[in-house]
Amino acid sequence: MRNTFQEQLEQLNVELIRMGALCEEAISDATKAYLEGDRELGRQACRLEQEIDNKERDIESQCMKLLLRQQPVARDLRAVSAAMRMISDMERIGDQALDIAEIARDMAPNRLGSRTPMEEMAREAIGMVTDSVDSFVRGDLNLAHGVIARDDKVDRLFLQVREELTSLIAAGEDGSVCLDMLMVAKYFERIGDHACNIAQWVEYALTGQYEED
Amino acid sequence: MTAKIFRNSMAVGISVFLLSVALFMGVLYQYFGGQLTDELENEAWLVARGVELQGMEYLEGLNSSSRITWVDRDGTVLYDNMADPSTMENHSDRAEIQDAMRGSQGTSVRDSSTLAEKTFYVARRLEDGTVIRLASAQYTIVVLLLSMIQPLMIILVAALILAAVLAHRLSKGIIRPILDLDLEHPEDCDTYDELAPLLTRIRRQNDTIRRQMDLLRQRQQEFAALTENMSEGFVLLDQKGHILSHNSGALRLLGTIAPAEEANVLTLDRSDAFRRVVEQALAGNRNQGRLERGGRCIQVMADPVSHDGQVVGAVLVLVDVTEREQGEQMRREFTANVSHELKTPLTAISGMAEIIKNGMVEPEDITGFAGDIYKESQRLIALVEDIIHLSRLDEGAPNLQREDVDLMALAKSAEQRLEPLAKKAGVTIMVAGAPFTVHGVRAVLDEMIYNLCDNAVKYNRPGGTVAVSVSPAPGGKGGEVTVSDTGIGIPAQDQERVFERFYRVDKSHSKEIGGTGLGLSIVKHGAALHDAQVELTSTLGQGTSVKLIFSR
Repeated sequence: MRNTFQEQLEQLNVELIRMGALCEEAISDATKAYLEGDRELGRQACRLEQEIDNKERDIESQCMKLLLRQQPVARDLRAVSAAMRMISDMERIGDQALDIAEIARDMAPNRLGSRTPMEEMAREAIGMVTDSVDSFVRGDLNLAHGVIARDDKVDRLFLQVREELTSLIAAGEDGSVCLDMLMVAKYFERIGDHACNIAQWVEYALTGQYEED
Repeated sequence: MTAKIFRNSMAVGISVFLLSVALFMGVLYQYFGGQLTDELENEAWLVARGVELQGMEYLEGLNSSSRITWVDRDGTVLYDNMADPSTMENHSDRAEIQDAMRGSQGTSVRDSSTLAEKTFYVARRLEDGTVIRLASAQYTIVVLLLSMIQPLMIILVAALILAAVLAHRLSKGIIRPILDLDLEHPEDCDTYDELAPLLTRIRRQNDTIRRQMDLLRQRQQEFAALTENMSEGFVLLDQKGHILSHNSGALRLLGTIAPAEEANVLTLDRSDAFRRVVEQALAGNRNQGRLERGGRCIQVMADPVSHDGQVVGAVLVLVDVTEREQGEQMRREFTANVSHELKTPLTAISGMAEIIKNGMVEPEDITGFAGDIYKESQRLIALVEDIIHLSRLDEGAPNLQREDVDLMALAKSAEQRLEPLAKKAGVTIMVAGAPFTVHGVRAVLDEMIYNLCDNAVKYNRPGGTVAVSVSPAPGGKGGEVTVSDTGIGIPAQDQERVFERFYRVDKSHSKEIGGTGLGLSIVKHGAALHDAQVELTSTLGQGTSVKLIFSR
């Protein structure tokens, strides 16, 4: 009985890792689609978003089954409940990736990107997602804390992007392009927040403590 | 153990207890029975004497615990101290009375109707023929036992407790030496002799286990050393995708840290390509895939491990194929370049020949065209020669004869051969220094120095100079050859790449200057063949200096 439970828990873990991998892929595809104007990657990001949604439903029902049939306690219960919270964050990351890909699709290539730290923001956000999934995979508390600390940097970058875009608009650049870029920056900032949430849930699963920010 | 000892000692205790109770009761009962009869007889004699002397009065004044009955000669009861004589039946048929009537005394023992008591009767005939009978009741053995049940039970409980305590202590005492056995070193144990065979056996088995453990450890170490020292990554999985074994090469290639024990393989890498390869392998299909990790290209080869037709795991081998990829890339570029470079002069030759063939050229122009065709074919020949040189160098020039070559002589001969070209370009070549020899391939060394001088002349400006300096090393082994020019120089960003095949700094004017784009590449490969170093220093617009350093 316990054995099947352990197996199911491990299965859940594997599924979570896969979902994390999908998220990483979706966001890096969407980012490339945006930064390099690659249409094919944009479509790929849309497909991945679908897959992430399916995965979320799968994992959710898996979690419910575990909770109802095995009634886990203590650490196992934390793991399952953390998983349920993590997947909703991951799903949101997938949505943001899709949003970025959609903006990329409707946007003509422009040279404004090079004048804002957009690339750095994208790199940070992707790095945070990768690290948060890594911290879950390895059960690495330090890495999780690192992700939580990195969130501030992304927030700062967002403010920087916003300021620079305001000055660009004031300088007479195309307003709608600037607004699109602001949206993308906001999405990256949100992705950072979700990665941070995932890291917090990892911490909760490991230590039983959840820090509200 | 304790329970068994407890049971046994309890059994012993209880049986001893029961036996002794039975024995004591039996013996004592007999004894008390005899005592009672004796007492009754004495009392009967006394009472008989009393009655003979005083008659009824004596009886009435008597106070006795025994029942006293005076029976007349015909059996009628004359007196009884416990009942009314008139209600009592005739006693002539009682055994003790009949005995007393016949002799002088009779005794008998009768059980009462309830079994609870037993009555002793002693009858004595008086001188007048009447009989005095005394009766005393004694409890039967059963009643006696029942009455003693309380102390007996107390003793029994005490025995139980005692037995339990003793059993506990005893078993502890017996067990202690066994528990204290040092099973690692059974031969050193001072314990029961009865255990000696067991200990010998254990010692022998310990030895066997130790030997096998050593063997296993050795195997494991050999295996670990083997896998740790290979540059390829190695991961062994079970059929559920858990990592059974991995080496540090795998972690290095995948850029990850050591996974937990029995962790899922996805903790090593969760990329789609990797996952697909693993899944395919666990489904029983050998396959491979490519990953990009930290700028390196990694090939993952996965083989299923089958046992009895069932997949029980998979072996992953990871190989860094970055160099191979780059090599392939270079070869592809080389092939493309070669075809292009060969085709250009050929097209020109073919085009001009075609025009002449079609008679579209005035006879006086044919010389000019022929000159062009000659020039292009010379270019083609030079190119093919260079390619042959290079491919020979690529193979490591195994068949080339090595000899002691004087580099000063080579420099001088190159100078001579380049003299006409230099004059045309208005460039002066100066060779200076002291001669030294290198053990190497004459043709290759000549090609290297000639190519350097050729470049120095070609990429010079009118009135410039080419200085070739040959200087032996102070130690006497090896030396340096420096070719410096005062020419156009090489831009900093191109300095790294000029040694690549077909690389040209100024692509648009390369045709005017001539050359195949392979010269410096030959220099580089030739230097490698002779373990020499090539140093290039160049300032744009001021000149280039190439130094060949021979270390032996």
